[in-house]
Amino acid sequence: MRKTNNVIKIKDFKVDKGLPFDQEYNFAYLDENTKKMIRRAIIKALCIPGYQVPFASREMPMPYGWGTGGVQVTASCLTKRDTLKIIDQGADDTTNAVSIRNFFKKTSNIKTTEITEKATLIQTRHRIPETPLKKKQIFVYQVPIPEPLAFLEPKVSETIKMHSLSEYGAMHVKLYEDISKNGHIETAYAYPVKTNDRYIMDPSPIPKFDNPKMNNSPAIQLFGAGREQRIYAIPPYTKVKSLDFEDYPFDPFKAEHACDICGSKNTYLDEIIVDDAGNKSFICSDTDFCNKRKNK
Amino acid sequence: MIIPLLKVTNLSKSYDNIVGCKNISMSLYPGEVLGIVGESGSGKTTLINCLSGNLEPDRGKIIFSINNKETDFLNISESEKRKFIRTDLAFVHQNPRDGLRLNVSAGGNIGEKLMSVGYRHYGNIRSLATKWMNKVEIDKSRIDDLPITFSGGMLQRLQIAKNLITSPNVIFMDEPTGGLDVSVQARVLDLIRSLVNELNLTVIIVSHDLAVIRLLADKMIVMKNGTVIESGLSDQVLEDPQQEYTQLLVSSVLHV
Repeated sequence: MRKTNNVIKIKDFKVDKGLPFDQEYNFAYLDENTKKMIRRAIIKALCIPGYQVPFASREMPMPYGWGTGGVQVTASCLTKRDTLKIIDQGADDTTNAVSIRNFFKKTSNIKTTEITEKATLIQTRHRIPETPLKKKQIFVYQVPIPEPLAFLEPKVSETIKMHSLSEYGAMHVKLYEDISKNGHIETAYAYPVKTNDRYIMDPSPIPKFDNPKMNNSPAIQLFGAGREQRIYAIPPYTKVKSLDFEDYPFDPFKAEHACDICGSKNTYLDEIIVDDAGNKSFICSDTDFCNKRKNK
Repeated sequence: MIIPLLKVTNLSKSYDNIVGCKNISMSLYPGEVLGIVGESGSGKTTLINCLSGNLEPDRGKIIFSINNKETDFLNISESEKRKFIRTDLAFVHQNPRDGLRLNVSAGGNIGEKLMSVGYRHYGNIRSLATKWMNKVEIDKSRIDDLPITFSGGMLQRLQIAKNLITSPNVIFMDEPTGGLDVSVQARVLDLIRSLVNELNLTVIIVSHDLAVIRLLADKMIVMKNGTVIESGLSDQVLEDPQQEYTQLLVSSVLHV
């Protein structure tokens, strides 16, 4: 195995649940120069809320679409003192979450947790936890398509211009189409928002139920798109507004049920078919929140 | 004294060594319809693209005077320019597929310009779109249909509605009846003519079809090899052409 000068030696590690910490890797997999480059992109992104900063995305040891952007942002922000939580569709125990958590255990030997309050860094796919985020937490989103205007304008050179000149009127065409087809705004995830009254931003495919949680959040929110090579961010306490029409205001929709496990009425639910007769069950998609409520 | 709405001085544009248009000067007054004719490659489209902001000319001046406000079109910032194009100009393409979003319903297409100038009330956008569908003689029950389900003539009428809804000050039309069959052409021309009269539009229309120009244009210019060789009132130019090329053009029209 090749060893570079950049490798940081960590002496006081402990092996966690049979997953050996591999010291041959640099801390958190990426080399220090790459992390520096990504941190610069993150700082720029934080200075211009909602603006997509290009960065030299690296090949990661996982396929595109598995969160290569989020993983690079997480790797660049991670310190030895961090406690990491990874969620996929709100759950800590699904494939994507488990494999990324194992990846960081193996390459950085940091503490991991499933409890939202205890985490200092949370990487997510498609959800924001029900437990409100707090100060000094970093929240990293995995983003497949960072460009909210891609639907309207396939040329990147043109969308860059539209962003720089705030030419966003056409964005409402998508919402108009929704209402004319369905009588209401059908877009249920990746619902476009305006950040700090300036840039229109794709919040990644989180359900629109989660959109209000981005507004004025005390946590740092970072978005990484690996394949598309873009990083963008929402600094703490920033206004994030979901787009809508005056006569069709934004509606953070959720299923009209209570969770069948914990009974919560105001959380985002997964609909699950439980037998061959088509019977359904609704349960919280945030497993940590649901477990805590159930155990109370 | 009436100030020209559009004043062009010595406008030139070339593509490397090939001349697009050379030293064009002209003016256009409010409510006027100006026809530009000439053979393929004579610079008609280059000229109209320069005037509408699609192309950056090499030399010359373009001044728009709208509501007593002069806009030096080639010396304003890009954001001002794009705003000006969005609110004060409109462009009807020869191929309506270039001017429409084919994956967006007819109503969405007509409403897009409204939304881009700040309309945020669905009901208002919808009722204005319906009104304009009526104006261009498209059945309002088609408002939620995709343009791909429309015929060629309907598409062109839809494109016209989309462009006129924000009452632009100057409308550019590049061969608006180009790809249509004769009876549909007649209907679209009839529509354009009645809209021009009803709304007192200022239009620059490019065509190689002299019948279109005769029907619509008050004034016309004839272009050849990138320069204007003849200009004047359309009737005058068409009845009594002075230049050899114009004479050829006029005499080559088939009289059935």
